[in-house]
Amino acid sequence: MSTTPHPIAPEEIMAHLDGELSPARAHSVSTHLDSCSACQEFAASLRSTSQSLSSWTTGPNPAGLENKVILAASKSPSQTGSLGSNRFPRTHRWRRKQWIGGLAVTAAATVFLFSISIPTLHRSQSVAQKASVLTHLREQKAQVTYGQPVDNARVNSEEEQQDSARLGSTYYSQALSAPAPPASAKALKETTTLQLYAKLQGATGPQQAGPMIARTVSLSIIAKDFDSSRASLDAILVRHNGYSANLSVSTPQDAARSLQASLRIPAPQLPTALAELKALGRAEAENQSGEEVTQQHADLVARLKNSRETEQRLQAILTQRTGKISDVLEVEQEIARVRGEIEQMEAEQKNLEHRVDFATIDLKLCEEYKAKLDSPTPAISTLFHNAAVNGYRNVADTLLSIVLFFAEYGPVLVFWLLVFFIPAWLARRRWRHATAAI
Amino acid sequence: MQDALPALVLNSEALPRTAMNDTPPMRAFPASPASDEHLMLAFSKGSAESFNELFLRYKQPIYGFFRRRTADPSHAEELTQEAFLVLLRAASRYEPRALFRTYLYAIAFKILRAHRRKSAFQATFFGQPKSILDPAKQDSTESGLWVRRAVEKLDRIDHEILLLREFEQLSYAEIADLLHLPINTVRSRLFRARTALRNLLEPSAATSPSDAAPSAEPAASSTAAQTIPQKGIRL
Repeated sequence: MSTTPHPIAPEEIMAHLDGELSPARAHSVSTHLDSCSACQEFAASLRSTSQSLSSWTTGPNPAGLENKVILAASKSPSQTGSLGSNRFPRTHRWRRKQWIGGLAVTAAATVFLFSISIPTLHRSQSVAQKASVLTHLREQKAQVTYGQPVDNARVNSEEEQQDSARLGSTYYSQALSAPAPPASAKALKETTTLQLYAKLQGATGPQQAGPMIARTVSLSIIAKDFDSSRASLDAILVRHNGYSANLSVSTPQDAARSLQASLRIPAPQLPTALAELKALGRAEAENQSGEEVTQQHADLVARLKNSRETEQRLQAILTQRTGKISDVLEVEQEIARVRGEIEQMEAEQKNLEHRVDFATIDLKLCEEYKAKLDSPTPAISTLFHNAAVNGYRNVADTLLSIVLFFAEYGPVLVFWLLVFFIPAWLARRRWRHATAAI
Repeated sequence: MQDALPALVLNSEALPRTAMNDTPPMRAFPASPASDEHLMLAFSKGSAESFNELFLRYKQPIYGFFRRRTADPSHAEELTQEAFLVLLRAASRYEPRALFRTYLYAIAFKILRAHRRKSAFQATFFGQPKSILDPAKQDSTESGLWVRRAVEKLDRIDHEILLLREFEQLSYAEIADLLHLPINTVRSRLFRARTALRNLLEPSAATSPSDAAPSAEPAASSTAAQTIPQKGIRL
């Protein structure tokens, strides 16, 4: 080997043999190769290495390859977008497998969901049907009670239970045993409902009354004529034997007047009263809700009954037994305590029944405001001052919200990051290890 | 354009070329004088015969391309089908901005990378054996097996560049474009791969590697080849 420095780099000799040099540079390399034995030897070794690769053969093409591809090409290029899956059996088979697997998983998931949801649906339907019947009957009973305008709508709990028992036995038995068939569809519907109710009563026991629901309605109305709407509101209250538990009127300057009131209307007359209230103007928002207090009421009645019996026994002890003065005083103290509990529970009971008998309407009546030309506008400096103050408050609120968010959710985020970090890190490391050699 | 010096590579199923950026010579296909680009344009306008001609020209090179890079012949067949299928689908969007063979090998290379990613994913998460690092075990002669084992010992990028040059006969510029590497990096890595392969095939030459190649006055390229940054496409 020659150790004499060469004007031609080995890479250039290789590039020359590959035909990658410019003509001028190729000429100079060729000239040098003619005169340099070391470079000739190097070029020969490169050729030898390249020729040795020729022993790596791949064999002939598979027999089916040509047919498949030529068949796919038989369609015009504009239609080749739809080629593929049906042209290449392997791909087609693979996709069909995916489809079959996906359909099987979907079918299994559907069956699973149905098996879970159908019993729940049946249960919820029967409960809803039962509740509907009981509500309907309760309304009918209330209409019987409040059919005429009433001044005192309070219903005692014992009366309630008696009414329920009577409704469940006498009244509905009469209805069931009525000799004449219902004359109208409405009567037929009521009879069917009553039959169902009687069946339910028989299944659940005669002591159980219908559900007690305290209804609340929120209503927001925009009225064009505020004064006439106010007068109509009072008339509606009188007409439906209701009252306003709370009422406040706001009449700001250069702004719309508004009225906020909490109205109490007898529950059976709620739909009619609502319809009349909505006629006062344009109903902007309406929200109705009902709270069932049956269980609460039953507990209260039972506790009240126990307390009354306790009080009676204590009274009997006080009148029939004799003993020390300290014992007498202790019994009197106990009687006073039980009496206090009884009165408190009676008040709660009355309140609960009142909530059921009288629906609450939270009414917001706003006037449709019309701006006036002579309204004074604040000074520009005041506007700037107010804007600056509002801007400062907004920035402070935003920063505070961010801090509060991280204080509230930061630990949870850190927790989940730690939970997911280790598996993700392991998967990533394995993936990198697998792809490093690709 | 370069001069028409004979190229070093002699042993490929790829279409013979005389210089960079030349289309295959007409003498290879006396019955079909049209160039690949003309055939592809004709096919994009609806000529199925043009595609048949292109397929006949490139079926063996493309199959060889995949066969040398996958262990399973059925995978090579499937990938070959997929490459021509992609060509069919993309025919309406074809524009002759580069050589057709570069275009086709770019398609094949993308399909190969997708296949490798899929195999790596399956090996990583499903424990299936990888078939991407052990190509071409069948129909091998003893010398062919020796050569393949030597090629497999090369660095992965060097290995790919060597195969693209030796078997697919892509020019340095085409390889650089395909692998997203600078052209000088391609040349340096190709030189390094050939030198390493020569040392592997001829153990006597490996004893004194400094004597194997003549020292050059600039002497920068051989040292630069040792410090080539690992950038460009992931193979």
